[in-house]
Amino acid sequence: MAGTTSSPDALNKDRRVRHGERPGLRRTGRVLPALRFTVLVVGALLALVPFYYMIIGALQKERDTSVLGLLPLQRNLTLDNFAGVNESIDLLRSLLNSLIMTAGVVGCTLVFGLLVGYALSVLSFRGQGLVFALVLLVQAIPFQLLMIPLYVMVVRYFNLADNYLGMILPFAVNSVAVLIFRQYFLQIPRDVFDAARIDGASELRILRSIAVPLVRPAVLTAMLVTFIGPWNEFLWPFLVTKDATMQPLAVSLANFSQANSTFQANPMGAVLAGACVLAVPAVVLFLLFQRHFTSANLGSAIKG
Amino acid sequence: MRRGARMTALAATAAVVLPLAACGSGDDGGSGDSGGDLASGPIDIWYSTNEQEIAWGEQVVEAWNADHPDEQVTAQAIPAGSSSEDVIAASITAGNTPCLVFNTAPAAVPAFQKQGGLVNLSTTFDDAEDYITGRSGSAADGFRSADGDLYQIPWKTNPFMLYYNKDVFAAAGLDAEDPQLETYDDVLAAAQAIKDAGAADFAIYPPATADYTNVNFDFYPFFLANSGGTQFIEDGKATFTSDEGLETLEFWQTLYAEGFSSAEAYSGDMWAGPFADGVAAMGVAGPWGKAQFDGKVNYGVVPLPTAAGTAADETSTFADSKNIGLYSSCKNQQTAWDFLKFATNDENDLALLEVTGQFPTRTDVPELAADFLVDNAFFEPFAAAVPLAVDVPTVDGLAEKMQVFRDAWSDAVQSGSGDLEATFGEAATTIDGLSS
Amino acid sequence: MTTLHDEDVRSPARATATRGPRQGRPDPRGRRLQRWLGEHPLGLLLSTPYAAFVVVVFLVPFGFGVWMSFHDFFFTAPGVQVPHPFVGLENFRQVLADPVVRQAFGNLLVFGLINIPLTVVLGLLLSSGLDAVVHWKGFFRVSYYIPYVTASVATLAVWIFMFNGGGVVNKLLGGLAPEPTWLANPSLIMPLIAVYVTWKNLGFYVLLYLAALQNVPKELHEAAEMDGAGTWRRFRTVTLPAVRPVTSLVVLLCIITTGQIFTEPYLLTGGGPNGASMTPALLMYQKGIQQGQPDIAAAIGLILVIAVMAVSLASRRLTERKG
Repeated sequence: MAGTTSSPDALNKDRRVRHGERPGLRRTGRVLPALRFTVLVVGALLALVPFYYMIIGALQKERDTSVLGLLPLQRNLTLDNFAGVNESIDLLRSLLNSLIMTAGVVGCTLVFGLLVGYALSVLSFRGQGLVFALVLLVQAIPFQLLMIPLYVMVVRYFNLADNYLGMILPFAVNSVAVLIFRQYFLQIPRDVFDAARIDGASELRILRSIAVPLVRPAVLTAMLVTFIGPWNEFLWPFLVTKDATMQPLAVSLANFSQANSTFQANPMGAVLAGACVLAVPAVVLFLLFQRHFTSANLGSAIKG
Repeated sequence: MRRGARMTALAATAAVVLPLAACGSGDDGGSGDSGGDLASGPIDIWYSTNEQEIAWGEQVVEAWNADHPDEQVTAQAIPAGSSSEDVIAASITAGNTPCLVFNTAPAAVPAFQKQGGLVNLSTTFDDAEDYITGRSGSAADGFRSADGDLYQIPWKTNPFMLYYNKDVFAAAGLDAEDPQLETYDDVLAAAQAIKDAGAADFAIYPPATADYTNVNFDFYPFFLANSGGTQFIEDGKATFTSDEGLETLEFWQTLYAEGFSSAEAYSGDMWAGPFADGVAAMGVAGPWGKAQFDGKVNYGVVPLPTAAGTAADETSTFADSKNIGLYSSCKNQQTAWDFLKFATNDENDLALLEVTGQFPTRTDVPELAADFLVDNAFFEPFAAAVPLAVDVPTVDGLAEKMQVFRDAWSDAVQSGSGDLEATFGEAATTIDGLSS
Repeated sequence: MTTLHDEDVRSPARATATRGPRQGRPDPRGRRLQRWLGEHPLGLLLSTPYAAFVVVVFLVPFGFGVWMSFHDFFFTAPGVQVPHPFVGLENFRQVLADPVVRQAFGNLLVFGLINIPLTVVLGLLLSSGLDAVVHWKGFFRVSYYIPYVTASVATLAVWIFMFNGGGVVNKLLGGLAPEPTWLANPSLIMPLIAVYVTWKNLGFYVLLYLAALQNVPKELHEAAEMDGAGTWRRFRTVTLPAVRPVTSLVVLLCIITTGQIFTEPYLLTGGGPNGASMTPALLMYQKGIQQGQPDIAAAIGLILVIAVMAVSLASRRLTERKG
């Protein structure tokens, strides 16, 4: 049982250290932290520049591809692009469709994916290896291979065209989320579960009262990971829905950029405006939840 | 379980799934009854998401529905890009195509026919042949399938012409009202002048990606003009290795080599964007260009150039036709046919031109639209070009063949250097091999 | 009795398996059944919804795809009877002899060789920086995640803008700008796509690493500290081994992503210039959907799946052997 000490002193040190103080900071001096900070800032800039460009492009009255166009100049700013794209696509309705479809996928994944991830890591049962192999196998299969047979199945046999269920079905349980759940459950020391078993708790009880509360960071990670796929997904909902009032925003936007954007004063701006609207909810969601990405205090759970 | 067990598990899964799949595929006996009797009743149709076409479509549907309470038409809009062909193909497989799809691309008809998705108009409806040839004349023959029958009705034609930016030409010291753009050399000279003056980034900037449909925006219109209307494939053989073909290929190679055009994807609408945004001094488009370019560019229109120069009334061009298909999953085919005739009658064809600026494929456009053309002189050259407009050949596997051509194009032409005869000779051989 | 969890790399923090006495049922048949089902048959129940989903959504269409690859097949309208003769390995022979296909797989190799190491290195670098930094943690986390969250349609449009012939990047590079320019350059286009995908997905991997780093017990760092280890040594001996499961996962996910590359070449180049950015997934789309040859596309797909699985297995061997 390496790595866990049982003296109260060590625990106190735990808490102090966890709040950001690293031992030895004074010894390594200022160079390393400064370097670290610089690297992080450069990384952040590289990550943000295209996003910034997208917003500026959406606000431009006239298309301006020069370097100067990067600056938010008063004379070239307008909200017309947003109005223009809203006239062509009903932004609110499309957003709602995106939300319903994505919520369906996230819900299914959080429920069924968590169960499988738990089963694969903490339990042992016949067929376990097979299920894990499935988790890996399905990710290796490119969607293009499945597309037409899946389409025929969903539309012809299940009769789910122009239907939220039809949009949700191929994405229902995200296998990456399953891997994430499994990974997190693996990092929880077995003692936690064994202690409960010795105490006579049933497996279901263990799942409900111990595993689920412990894995909150994984739930959030899984949710954010699962959210992105269906939210930005274009090809499948495009195939499955023809009714414009059912189409999610990613599809409406792609249709718009192909067919009707040139009627706008600033076509590129209108498309980028739509793209901003598509990106904002995801960013906001992440902003809200990113603070919760701290792991639970596992040391004390073992004590308990 | 170690790796061996996992492999066994996979094999076991495959063993279970494969027979299931084979069963599933063998059973094609769905309810595919297109019925010997032609039924009447409600139908659904698809048209494109182009705003103007939607306006026209809604008008036509409303008029029909008012008079036919038992045969209501429901319409949906699908985007009219190359992806719409993919959507229709998938729909055919699933059996949920609508009765009519306006904006069926002629290039896709052989594939849809092979799938069994289209209804043979010539044999299903007694008056089909007369109606179609009466309306479209000899253009209809260009759309006959290999068995000589018609599986599509020619609907609209948008002859491509060369648009040029008057302001850019003026800035480059060229005559903006009467530019000399009849021969390839003329165009190259103008391009050089534009580059020297820095009046625009590029002379002409067609969609540059390797998608096979882009052939219709650069090579094919110019080749049709230069070769007097020779289609891409004739009598099962590729035609672009002829002298005229090589002239056109060389012209485009020079454009790329001299930097007058760009081989990168344009950041925006690839088809109308570069010209509309002032990035390219010239652009190739149909009469729909007016709606796209008005208010953005001060444009003029001339016929496409040829190697040696040709008179305007003899210059062929690309028709960019879209046709209407009647699909086999349709339950009420009589209504569909009746609605088809209604949507292509004199009144609605004229409305099509007036509302969308696109030409119905009929032999009598100048007479029918006389008043409109007087009021909108812009459309006159296009109206004159309609009988000279040619489309893609209706052959099997056209998409694959055009892709072979497009790959050779990006290799030898867009790179600005490359042995045209060798590369395209090879492509032609491959294409001919596919035909057999 | 640890074979049932063979995929798990035991990090130093994890306990070795200790179990209580086996709670068997009294009657012999029941005990045998239970032993056959495994120690926790509940696992079967929990896995069933997921397994059902996988079978319906993936395995059945995949099985159909496998069947297609051995037959001469194209999709037809319902009710249309067309023969689909068995052609054995003919489709595979045709595919393997096609230089375009070989080039597509070669492009994947180029992509993977750039994307995977870059992702692991940058992911670790940024996440360990994030873990240690005190100020602006939230800002950094959010900024790395933003590209991941934004739709490819938008981010690609912006990258085309920037990497245009006359765009910002070339203007900054001045004389060093490549000729022909980025998007039209056969040697640069695939590396460019690799860098783009790395950039786009990095936020996700940084998060994975970050959560794992936060799980490394501080006692280990302290112990190493007290033994006199410097920052780099601590990183190598404590951090790296501790996050090996995550590294293994990251490499696995990168390999899988590599196999699926479709949207980027589709939107950027259509597979050009001259096949330099063609990928198997794009080729499958072209052949299967645009050109009506799903049997050929299925053959390519099957080869792709086998290749990806082989590489995944090899990589897991490599990253987990050193434990």
